[in-house]
Amino acid sequence: MNMTFKEKSAWGSLAALSLVSYWFFPAAFTAAGHASDPARLVGISIGCIIALIIIETIYQSVIAAASGGASDERDALINLKAERIAGYVLGIALFTLVGHIIAVEAFQVAETMTALTIAVWILLTLTVSEVAKLISQIACYRFSA
Amino acid sequence: MAKTHVRNNIRALRFQNGEMTQQVLAEKVGVTRQTIVAIEKEKYSPSLEVAFKIAAEFDEPLDAVFSYEPGSR
Repeated sequence: MNMTFKEKSAWGSLAALSLVSYWFFPAAFTAAGHASDPARLVGISIGCIIALIIIETIYQSVIAAASGGASDERDALINLKAERIAGYVLGIALFTLVGHIIAVEAFQVAETMTALTIAVWILLTLTVSEVAKLISQIACYRFSA
Repeated sequence: MAKTHVRNNIRALRFQNGEMTQQVLAEKVGVTRQTIVAIEKEKYSPSLEVAFKIAAEFDEPLDAVFSYEPGSR
């Protein structure tokens, strides 16, 4: 496949983030439910961050060695477009979360979330925003810009 | 796949200039080969600076390499 370093990087980051998130969020929501044991959530989070750093470091080093890590104005433009889309996604996701929290508190429509559960939801919105950025980047490289 | 309104004849000029490869042109202009591919396919409009550099590589004026075609998009 004919890809720039930045596109290969986006594919790798998307795969790594999806893989780690697929394991992290179910475990994190379960751990957050056990409010008496916050150390478990901290342990899972640190483990996942380390795993993500190791995967990303190895992958990015390999592709940088293979393709030189060059980038240009088109990469910068695509990155800006993707950042803008990620910003929208993050804003919508956070407003939805805040709306949900307020609705729960005001109207008792569901069980009140613990602080740890809210923290995991915030991490999920950040992750979704990052995934949206990476998908937007890849879509721009493949179909436009 | 949306095309830009900026048309170009880089491909023809490359072949008129000793069949210059996209990689060589990219290195001379200071962009990646994929950017030259995107410009040639009219999927990406280069900055003025890159457009001038490309024209200079072929020793042609800018409007001999690039043209603007207003469309319905």
